[in-house]
Amino acid sequence: MSSTLHRELRILDPKSVRVTAAYLDEVDVEINGELIQGVRPRKPFPYSHPEIVIFYKGNEEIGILKDYRMLDSESRGTLEKALRIVYFMPEIRKVLSIRWVQGRYEWRVVTDKGEEKFETWSRCVRVLPDGRLVVKDIYSRAYIVEHPEKLDAKSKALLTMMI
Amino acid sequence: MSSQSDNAITIYPAPEDLPPLVRGLLENGEEVIAIARTDLVGSDYGEELVVLTNRRVLAVAEGRETRAIPLAKITAASIRGYINSCVLVVDTDEGSRGFAVFTRARLEAFEKFVTLTNNMVIGGGQYRLMRQVLDRIKRVSVSRGGRAVLVRLLGLLRPVMLLLISSILVAVAIRLLNMLPPYLMKSLIDEVLLNKQADRLFYIIVGLLAVNLVNTGLGTINAYLNTKFNVAIANTLRSKIYSKLHELSLSHYDQFGSGGLWSRIMDDVGRIQWAMQASFRDLFINAATVAFIGFTLVTLNAQLTLIVLLPIPVSVTATTIYRRLSSRYYQRMWRRWSRIVSIISDTINAVILVRSYGKESSFKDSFERYQEEFEKAQMDVFKFEQQIWPASGLAFTASSLLVWWIGGNQVLQGAISLGTLTAFTSYMWMFYSPVFGLIDNIKNLQILSMSASRVFDILDLEPDVVVTPEARDVEIRGDIAFNNVWFTYDGIHYALRGVNVKIRAGERVGLVGPSGSGKTTLAKLLLRLYEPQLGSLTYDGIDVKEIKMDSLKRQVAIVLQNPVLLDATIAENISLGASNAEPEEIIYAAKLARAHDFIMRFPEAYDFEVGMQGSRLSGGERARVALAAALLKNPKVLILDEPTAALDALTEDEVTEELERLTRGKTTVIIAHRLSTLRFVDRIIVMDKGAAVEEGPHEELLKRDGLYKKLWEAQLKGLTRMSQAEAGELYAAQRA
Repeated sequence: MSSTLHRELRILDPKSVRVTAAYLDEVDVEINGELIQGVRPRKPFPYSHPEIVIFYKGNEEIGILKDYRMLDSESRGTLEKALRIVYFMPEIRKVLSIRWVQGRYEWRVVTDKGEEKFETWSRCVRVLPDGRLVVKDIYSRAYIVEHPEKLDAKSKALLTMMI
Repeated sequence: MSSQSDNAITIYPAPEDLPPLVRGLLENGEEVIAIARTDLVGSDYGEELVVLTNRRVLAVAEGRETRAIPLAKITAASIRGYINSCVLVVDTDEGSRGFAVFTRARLEAFEKFVTLTNNMVIGGGQYRLMRQVLDRIKRVSVSRGGRAVLVRLLGLLRPVMLLLISSILVAVAIRLLNMLPPYLMKSLIDEVLLNKQADRLFYIIVGLLAVNLVNTGLGTINAYLNTKFNVAIANTLRSKIYSKLHELSLSHYDQFGSGGLWSRIMDDVGRIQWAMQASFRDLFINAATVAFIGFTLVTLNAQLTLIVLLPIPVSVTATTIYRRLSSRYYQRMWRRWSRIVSIISDTINAVILVRSYGKESSFKDSFERYQEEFEKAQMDVFKFEQQIWPASGLAFTASSLLVWWIGGNQVLQGAISLGTLTAFTSYMWMFYSPVFGLIDNIKNLQILSMSASRVFDILDLEPDVVVTPEARDVEIRGDIAFNNVWFTYDGIHYALRGVNVKIRAGERVGLVGPSGSGKTTLAKLLLRLYEPQLGSLTYDGIDVKEIKMDSLKRQVAIVLQNPVLLDATIAENISLGASNAEPEEIIYAAKLARAHDFIMRFPEAYDFEVGMQGSRLSGGERARVALAAALLKNPKVLILDEPTAALDALTEDEVTEELERLTRGKTTVIIAHRLSTLRFVDRIIVMDKGAAVEEGPHEELLKRDGLYKKLWEAQLKGLTRMSQAEAGELYAAQRA
């Protein structure tokens, strides 16, 4: 099954892939020397296996990188530039307050992008298998808590009340 | 032996329960299967017993001639229905004839009678199987004595018993402490204020403060123990039932229904939790309080204590009347309220309908009328309550005034002190509450007992599918054989009747037939979700009972019609049967099931959470995720129950093509209503009324002019009609 699987899924050898440029959510990719422009990188498992990336040209799948971190450092940097746009997700570093206001929860947090305020419904925190937390607001925007254990005591206490 | 009985039919009655009239007619070795009671004899009301035995159908009535037809002569039984009356009809080789007459009130009973009769005519001696199943169903609802249930419940709650006892002791201590302040007040009045003993004032004040402080502390401990006890009861019971759920056979799920199981886990456990606290725990607390306060009252003044007891019978009577009658007043009020809710809902949800028919004013009139009716119902509740409670309140007031009158005179005469009277009246009001509490507690014990009994219904179930210690790991090749398999869900209707089917390893077989013909039951038996009740199922010649469940479930995969997914991510749902699957294997399985593209359209792709029962996905998407899960297991035997039912025509075509490729060389059973899905199978088995009636390749079956040909032609006709309709629409569109 394994070789069939590799063939059918078009799993790419990271050594044969170079990411040459990034434009917002698209990249230019060179695979085995052939340049393909305007490729969209997508993560099939953005939370559980964020290292896997599928390249799309239009609706067509070009191939899968099982671990994009195996790319050469320049390609990796370029690809991550696009991935940061596709998977833009502020990281919550501190929870200042969570207040219940008219059926919604109003969060005030400090993220890696600065201080933010957003609203959520009651069931809004998802605990990922590796312990990270994803908070979704009423518009389905996601905020990630990469290291819940490293948060200050007040932030931890506030978050615990929402899980 | 047990029997199933309602007023109109008794199925498998015990010999000792047989009416003497019937017993006297039985021949040697003749067993009664069912007795149905008519409510008409000819065109007059009257009762006749219609009896089905393993040999005959009889009609028996006092003073009338017995009619009997041997089963050997009967070809079928049926019912002819009219406006009010129905006739039981028996077909024999000599023709049809009416056998008994009854009103529609007995229709359900006679439908069962007809099914049982036809079973006997078709299924012969298998009525014993039906009896076994009914016995099992009956065992579930065995009645239990209230006291026995409570004793058993306490046994079950042994882990929380220490909490219960501590909680009772602390609560009793609080009640006793609450009795001290009136006593201290008595000393304050009699000894300090009236006798001017100033030196004791400080001690009494300190005493009152100490009582309050200790009471506050004990109150906190009591609240803690109470909460802990409540949570512990619910957790203990829910854990027991939840782990039982995993042991239950699917037949039990059919029997109780998901709602029934849900209500036992959530509602009954909740009621037990509440009743344990509100009745069982408080019973001891209230009894102890009544005893202590009663003793104190008698000690203080026996004569006045008798007066204190006077309003209790009045209040108990008022409460009893209230409980008996209040529900009808309240239910009427709620019914009328629900009409208001309903009309508002209709107005909002069906606004286009209401406006397009110009029904606005009619709706407004109805709304006004409903409001008036609701207001009247509310006022009636008020009037009813005013008839009950003031009388009860008056009795208490009269009693307390009487205590003050007689007690006051006794104080004036110097028979008792002022402090004693003050303390007595305080205790008097403290006495009533636990007395009524005690009455409530005893009534609530009934609720506790009923709910506990329903919980025990589940805990007492024994799985039908028993794992024998001899079961072993078997590498399945894929040869399947159903050998004279019989199965019934309810003990009345056959789902499978002596099915003999053989499937070779690597063969792809289609199962077709009308709804209810037994196709899905057959598929469920393959995964041992149910057990054949008669006959056997073998894999590679090994009885399925000898194969370990783990081994079987690893190698046999089923995709059910309308599959339900777990409230988890898509990846977790796909890897359900292969938890160690690599991400690329999950993607591959999803691609095979034509699910990958729609999954990648979700921003969170495979990490997307599908919601409860997969509610965030469409029916077709759920079906494809379920198919991917089955394919990821790479099973030796694949069972697909209507795999394309929820798909649109284009996707169906794609999936069918993919299935053709995926199932090559793999034992595959595909159930399909749409016969086009089966174009690639090697053989088609046609099921009808629980039996395999035809089998062979598509072309061969078409030549036979049997049920398959009829099904095929019906689908062709449907397609033709659809094409004509589509052509008509196209023509109309072009003209427009």
